[in-house]
Amino acid sequence: MPATETSFDVKRNHIHLEIILKQKDGREYSVDAILDTGALVTEFSDQFLMFTGFIDSVDDTVDIKKGLQSQKYKKTVIPELNICGYAINNFEVYISQFEESWGIDALIGLDFFRMFHVEIDCSRGLIVARPF
Amino acid sequence: MAKKLTWSEMKKQYPDEWLLIIDFELDESGHLKSGLVERHSKKKSDIYKSPAPNKSVAFRYTGESNFSGLRSHACH
Repeated sequence: MPATETSFDVKRNHIHLEIILKQKDGREYSVDAILDTGALVTEFSDQFLMFTGFIDSVDDTVDIKKGLQSQKYKKTVIPELNICGYAINNFEVYISQFEESWGIDALIGLDFFRMFHVEIDCSRGLIVARPF
Repeated sequence: MAKKLTWSEMKKQYPDEWLLIIDFELDESGHLKSGLVERHSKKKSDIYKSPAPNKSVAFRYTGESNFSGLRSHACH
């Protein structure tokens, strides 16, 4: 499979990836994510997952701990996730409460890096990815 | 009738707001090129109020993220 090149804006504070989640009925949800090598597992905001029908409910009893910005509390499976030009099927992710000021609904974690050879080229603003 | 806006126009028209966008177009890297802004608000919860549109949707925040990497995992 050939490598893909995905551009990102090097002027922003983080590396943002705009990814697509697909529902079984064909509906697509495009959402902004940050590439986070400090996250073991990819996580999505519970508000987003519930609104788009990937989960049935959010756990309102979970609070974000003081001084932190998110709170993972459960897992779910996304039928299809498109990232860097590749479709990943049945991708298990964390459901999480995200602080609103993050301005995103997803963190792409190390589980993505474990599936692909990923080069981050800040000189060109490109992520080059190919499966192992 | 709402007019399709480019992503640059959305950022200018709705600074530091959450947007729900329909009839959107993406480029080959997945970046939002244009679309119809169906909802916009400073509050994320306004965007995620039911009912959800019965079609494909793009979600974006026009401001900058203050993500600092601090997080924790609730084990329950």
